Amino acid sequence: MFVLNPHSGIPLYRQLREQIRRLIAGGQLRPGMSLPSIRDLALRHAINPMTVSKVYNQLEAEGLLERNRGRPMTVAAQPKLKAPRSDRLHQIEGHIAQLILAARQLELDPDDIVNAVRKKWETHDE
Amino acid sequence: MSEPCIRTRNLGKSFGGKAVLEGLNLEVYPGDVVGLIGLNGAGKTTLLEALSGFSPATQGEVTVFGHPVLSPPEAVKRRIGYVPQTDELIPSLKAIDYLEVIASFYPKWDREKIDALARSWQIDLSARIRSMSVGQRQKVSLLGALGHQPDLLLLDEPVASLDPLARRQFLQELVDVTASGERAVILSSHIVSDIERLANRIWVLKDRRLYWSGECDSLKDSVVRIHYRSRERLTTLMDLPNVLHRHEEDGYTALVVQDWSESLHRQFRGIAGVALEIETLSLEEIFLELHR
Repeated sequence: MFVLNPHSGIPLYRQLREQIRRLIAGGQLRPGMSLPSIRDLALRHAINPMTVSKVYNQLEAEGLLERNRGRPMTVAAQPKLKAPRSDRLHQIEGHIAQLILAARQLELDPDDIVNAVRKKWETHDE
Repeated sequence: MSEPCIRTRNLGKSFGGKAVLEGLNLEVYPGDVVGLIGLNGAGKTTLLEALSGFSPATQGEVTVFGHPVLSPPEAVKRRIGYVPQTDELIPSLKAIDYLEVIASFYPKWDREKIDALARSWQIDLSARIRSMSVGQRQKVSLLGALGHQPDLLLLDEPVASLDPLARRQFLQELVDVTASGERAVILSSHIVSDIERLANRIWVLKDRRLYWSGECDSLKDSVVRIHYRSRERLTTLMDLPNVLHRHEEDGYTALVVQDWSESLHRQFRGIAGVALEIETLSLEEIFLELHR
């Protein structure tokens, strides 16, 4: 269902929350689509149900998910299909920080990195 | 908040005048899964024995569902399940007969659930306990505790002898136990990744005391290892409070910091030109760092 690694240094709730946010921001989880029930998700990954409910509650408070009586949570109807560009950029910041760190360790310039990203992007995109 | 399943005040335990546990104030609420970790001899088994009333504390008090653990009403006693590290099975009995004996004490015994679990855990309940492997015996002990659907389940190293499949099935069973939010589990384990999966709260026992307790998530958020590669001294880094461990060599510094926060993160990310790597740690690594 999701990629969750309990042995990572990143707490499970953050792994799950970021993944759902990303999927919604990217449009893979679209308004009206259902999320697994708390129990199903917890059982599937053998994780604490409270971890799942904490994430669902947070995302509900952010307006990304909607609670439905007696039915699974769904992705909230949103004015736009995608989150604002600034939000989506914010979510990728952690990855960029890691990239910059690796670049510094390898003593590469920002230009090297930007060019490499662009090249990879173009060959990756069909 | 609802009534705690268990609460201790200044719990202590000595053996022959030698203190093993001291000054423990603990609370567990419905829905909690508490992971109890500590080195061998840290007192995990002693604590679980004291919490279950199996071997009473010598100091302080333990209350379960509002009653002293040593003299609970029968109805409260039935709400507790305890699986000791060394099983209490009767070797000459068949597993099914042993479970029937246990079932006779508990009106809430769920025979269907136990049959279903025995099938999925692949235990032949008609076999004599004497002929079973250590892992099979552990499964029978766990069935004995799960069958009466206790509201508080105390498990001492419940998965130590289980194969990976049985371990996963058992963890999923615990998810089922806690999914309603009405029942609580306290388990000790050296398999820290299992605790990482399931526990929302962690108790770390060290030097007879509760060294750390809190949410598993906040423990992971607050302990990081910082790698810094430069010959230049970075005073802001060297002055960080609550450094658990510091390793310095030529041009490289590693620090394990206990009270890391978002604002520190932003502060350090803002320092231009510094190759600072902030590594988040698994529970196992945090545990090792706490014991250096």
